Amino acid sequence: MAIWSCRNVLRRPINVLLVMALVAGCGGGGGSETPPPVVDNPTPPAITKTQLQEAARFASQATFGVPFEALEPMARQGEDAWLSEQFALPITRHSPTVVDILQRREAGEFDAFEQDIEYLIFARRLAWWHNTITAEDTLRQRVAFALSQIFVVSDNVDILEVYPGALSTYYDLLLTNAFGNFRDLLAGVTRSPAMGIYLSHMNNQRSDPNAGTFPDENYAREVMQLFSIGLFELNEDGSHRLDAAGRPIPTYDNDDIREFAKVFTGFSFGGPAALFGNNNDPRFNVPMQMFDVAHETGEKRLLNGFVVPAGQTGDADVEMAIDNLFNHPNVGPFIGRLLIQRLTTSNPSPAYITRVSNAFADNGNGVRGDMQAVIRAVLLDPDARQTATGETRGKVSEPVVRYVSLLRQIGVESDDGFIAALGYFLQNETRQHPLSPPSVFNFYLPDHQPAGSLSERDLFAPELSITNANTVIAWPNFLDAVLLGGFVTDPPQGFSEVRLTPDRWLAIADDSTTLVDEINTLMAFGRLHPETIAAIIESIEPYEEAPLRVALAVYYVAIAPEVIVQQ
Amino acid sequence: MLNRRRFLTHSCSLGAALPTLGSGLLSLAAMRDAAAQQADYKALVCILLAGGNDSYNMLVPTDTDQYQQYANIRSDLALPINDLLPLTLDGTDGRQFGLHPGMTALKTLLDSGDASLIANVGTLLEPFDPVAVNEGRSELPVGLFSHADQIQQWQTAVSDNRTAIGWAGRIADRLQSANPSNGVSMNISLSGSNVFQSGNNSTEYSISANGNGAVAINEYNNPDFFGTNRRTALDRILATPANNLIEEEYRRRFRAAIDQQLIFSDAIAQAPLLTTTFDAANPLSAALAQIGRVASVNASLNAPRQTFFVTVGGWDHHDEVINNQARMLPMVANALADFRSILGELDLFNSVTTFTISDFARTLTSNGRGSDHGWGGHHIVMGGDVNGGQLFGEYPLLSPNSPLDVGRGIYAPTTAVDNYFAELALWFGVNRGDLDQVLPNVTRFFDPTSNDTPLGFMSS
Repeated sequence: MAIWSCRNVLRRPINVLLVMALVAGCGGGGGSETPPPVVDNPTPPAITKTQLQEAARFASQATFGVPFEALEPMARQGEDAWLSEQFALPITRHSPTVVDILQRREAGEFDAFEQDIEYLIFARRLAWWHNTITAEDTLRQRVAFALSQIFVVSDNVDILEVYPGALSTYYDLLLTNAFGNFRDLLAGVTRSPAMGIYLSHMNNQRSDPNAGTFPDENYAREVMQLFSIGLFELNEDGSHRLDAAGRPIPTYDNDDIREFAKVFTGFSFGGPAALFGNNNDPRFNVPMQMFDVAHETGEKRLLNGFVVPAGQTGDADVEMAIDNLFNHPNVGPFIGRLLIQRLTTSNPSPAYITRVSNAFADNGNGVRGDMQAVIRAVLLDPDARQTATGETRGKVSEPVVRYVSLLRQIGVESDDGFIAALGYFLQNETRQHPLSPPSVFNFYLPDHQPAGSLSERDLFAPELSITNANTVIAWPNFLDAVLLGGFVTDPPQGFSEVRLTPDRWLAIADDSTTLVDEINTLMAFGRLHPETIAAIIESIEPYEEAPLRVALAVYYVAIAPEVIVQQ
Repeated sequence: MLNRRRFLTHSCSLGAALPTLGSGLLSLAAMRDAAAQQADYKALVCILLAGGNDSYNMLVPTDTDQYQQYANIRSDLALPINDLLPLTLDGTDGRQFGLHPGMTALKTLLDSGDASLIANVGTLLEPFDPVAVNEGRSELPVGLFSHADQIQQWQTAVSDNRTAIGWAGRIADRLQSANPSNGVSMNISLSGSNVFQSGNNSTEYSISANGNGAVAINEYNNPDFFGTNRRTALDRILATPANNLIEEEYRRRFRAAIDQQLIFSDAIAQAPLLTTTFDAANPLSAALAQIGRVASVNASLNAPRQTFFVTVGGWDHHDEVINNQARMLPMVANALADFRSILGELDLFNSVTTFTISDFARTLTSNGRGSDHGWGGHHIVMGGDVNGGQLFGEYPLLSPNSPLDVGRGIYAPTTAVDNYFAELALWFGVNRGDLDQVLPNVTRFFDPTSNDTPLGFMSS
């Protein structure tokens, strides 16, 4: 079984694996298209500290964290080549891990535990943490997490929590399409059983004049408002188009929602013996199936004058509706801005959004919606790559990204090779856990403007809406438990203790300046304030124990505002 | 109560004495120093039912004809008439209403005069006129029927544009800006950052329902070497103002949270242990109990006025609305009853007014399993100063031909949120002349210079 082989491989510390992954395929040339020429002199040019810091900064935007040893190969490789390599890596899917855990449960491994039944719920969380912490395809994992905050589903709906495959299959859909085409992503999400449950277009049926019922409008509304075009017509730079009176122009009205609601009728769970409305065999691992018997007949008047003709199959209607949305000029700037906000900055310039919009509209080969082109545009944009700091740059690093990054930067290992975590404590303390937001509006709104200097400057900072007096203190206390609690985390019963492996830093711990400097490079891209550096060094100097010095130094760096807000 | 009258008089004279500050509201800040502040203590508790409570199944007309209309329109979503809890409400023009069968605790509060209901409240920019709407010459709220907009507008009381400043935030701006170093915000949230309590210069203080609500940063208050060493380092790290505005805001929140926690924890440590039992497994009960404890130490927090905010999520019942409401409405009703008992024990029931808000009610017509986004909805107010046992506002006459039905059984509001909130704001101590500073569109619906009340549900 996969999990056993997985365990054997993972007996080695993870950071070693990561380094292997990140070094592999790196030829030292930096060009993405042609293989580097073979050179006689194997001595590569020296990498400067500034280059290491830049590699670390790029990693904060494009990965779930890399260890210090990965910075030099990344810097040598260059961002563009690194992206090409990541695009080509095999997908670390989450469902196979869930299947393995369920098989272990079936085999009775967790029978002795009081919470045996809970492993049905734990499985998808265990899979998320283990895979995200250990995956080589960390760019894909990071983008999928970003997509999961756009195409939102949540385990706060019971059925999605208790069916272990429901959310891991959904996440695999995001992983699979993260480097594909946006149209496939939108179609896949629309047909996904998890989304069908979450936004209730599963078992949505045609209107019934006798019963006085109408199609459910939920998905019809949110697919437009949140997943594709947004509320208002946009220019390619993300600004609102205005009518003659200077007001923004709504992209749709309630009548449009009702027309789209008709399109999204007739879906139920699929499978060989599927019947409309039958939930007795909920198959989350196949797309929802269209049942024309429950599909609204008649024409549907969609956006921009497009009419879906009467008498088509439901599947044909849905494809036309997806095309209608996909080809709307808003998608590039709307989705582009959301991806920028998740990866690089809360306040992209109009020019930055324009460049990403253009990449969405045409990847250079006439293809619209090419996600690789969009991701390249987001991460390689001059605004994202330029090294100067500024008043309005950057974003609050998301709690989940912060924590996973810390683990991947330090490295983790466990006796059974499985990096087991459930994330409940982190969620309770920081109000964030993958696929567990409170509503379809995610953990925060993209247009959240904190009162005071930020709203005065019309600036956005979504993540600050989960940064309050409670969570801002909970984060350091959470880290305190992990770092000063002995570099270990408690896994659920049945899994080995997870140990952090700061060996590299333990070895240089007696030299406070060097220690803090290296942590500064990796975790802060060299941007710790001089006063912060001085405070850390003075605080750790009195102690002799290397683990305490390292734990304290990492703790201070990880809670410093200049590290939590990444520019 | 004499205290209130005296307070208003007092605040007027202070307002005149501080012309540069201008607002009578500002003079509330001066009240902090008044020795008699506790006697005048007032708090508003806002319960947000996030997602859009289908309140046409919370309060149902039960006259024969109106129930029949209800049953016809709601189709498979109609509650059986015999299940509804019959209410005896004043102010219904002789109409009969029943309460959702799971809300027996609320029926008790209504019967005892501790609570009232407000019918069909919603966001508006002008009184609803179906002819004007059809002719396209009506000004309507932006983002009608959309969660993000409507949930925001219920907190901002501004429906003509998008703002992140809530009406409790506007009050705090005026009360606290005169005394910003005073420690813990007068706006306290059990549900984290929120729009309702966000001002231009003020923000909420977030606590949890657990323990004493706020935890210290580990070791920060530990007097041994390890503690002081860490405290020194942290203070230094947080002492450097940042050039980046987001970083500076993060740093400011971090620093303020540490400082405010010390003040808050000192204060709440003096709160009495409650002898009233409440359902700690009900998250709303637990949150309201914590609110009661905080309110009881308002003097230690130097806060003669406080607002509290708590969210109960999960009301977006496009699916399974019957089963979900049967589970969730009792939670709300039971928590209100618990809170009433707790406030009674703390002798604060007359000082605390609790009210519900929600994105919208929902389509009266069914989508076969649930209901979709609507507009006007019904709400609950509770407190010793509430004129209890009544129905305020107008419950629409249900009919397929109702002029209020804008489609699919979505009923346009017959009372604007502005009136609902104006009643609460005036009770809270906002001067009539300042009302439009707190509720910018209020004069579209209510003339503050008149002697009228906005709705009449508060008794003083």
